[in-house]
Amino acid sequence: MAVGAGRGHVSGVTLQSTPYSDAELRLAIYRFTAETTRLPTHAELGPLTGLAPEEVRAALARLAAEHVIVLNSHDGSIRMAAPFSGIATQHLVRTGGKEYFANCAWDALGVIAALGGAGEVVSRCEQSLAPIQFRVGAAGPDSAPCIVHFAVPAARWWQDIVFT
Amino acid sequence: MLFFRSEEMLNAWCAASHLPRREIIPLAKIWELASAWYGDRLARTHSRTRGEMRAIFSRLGLAGPFWELPD
Repeated sequence: MAVGAGRGHVSGVTLQSTPYSDAELRLAIYRFTAETTRLPTHAELGPLTGLAPEEVRAALARLAAEHVIVLNSHDGSIRMAAPFSGIATQHLVRTGGKEYFANCAWDALGVIAALGGAGEVVSRCEQSLAPIQFRVGAAGPDSAPCIVHFAVPAARWWQDIVFT
Repeated sequence: MLFFRSEEMLNAWCAASHLPRREIIPLAKIWELASAWYGDRLARTHSRTRGEMRAIFSRLGLAGPFWELPD
């Protein structure tokens, strides 16, 4: 991965490597999101990483090109850092005393998996709009009357990742 | 990937959306997939190759053309 020249501080952890790699920027995005429950803005990533604004933009573009994150086309902000969503969705996840939005049903459980393995999913049946809510613990999700539908074959997920 | 309360609800949604019904995955399997896919997402060293993605699908029994990934 390409590198920048920064050095930053994320959630109480100083990132020691210089130059600042795209892998470390990825980690900074995820740590920020885990801590704050939302994806960071470009302006927030500068102080976090020590990268200049143009370096942040370029590094985010590289991460997006590698399908590590998804950027909004209109302003380049981070739309997805899967399983986390940059916007409110129908998939709310409670874990660790915080609430996060996930991109899809798979990602709703992914948020819990990424953050420690216990929590609660609050979503809906996409047809009836009836609530779907279940807890996930060490043994996995509670029994809940629901299924997950994958509408797009894996080979085409990135043709329109937001729809996927 | 969307939640549905039943296959009946899914079928109604597919008809209304003019979309084909494709893969249906039970919740327990989704948890296995989510754990394998995202469990290390906050790790400093996280990265995943296409081969590793295929290995996850294979280990979880997600096989067939639907789960094939391009090179």
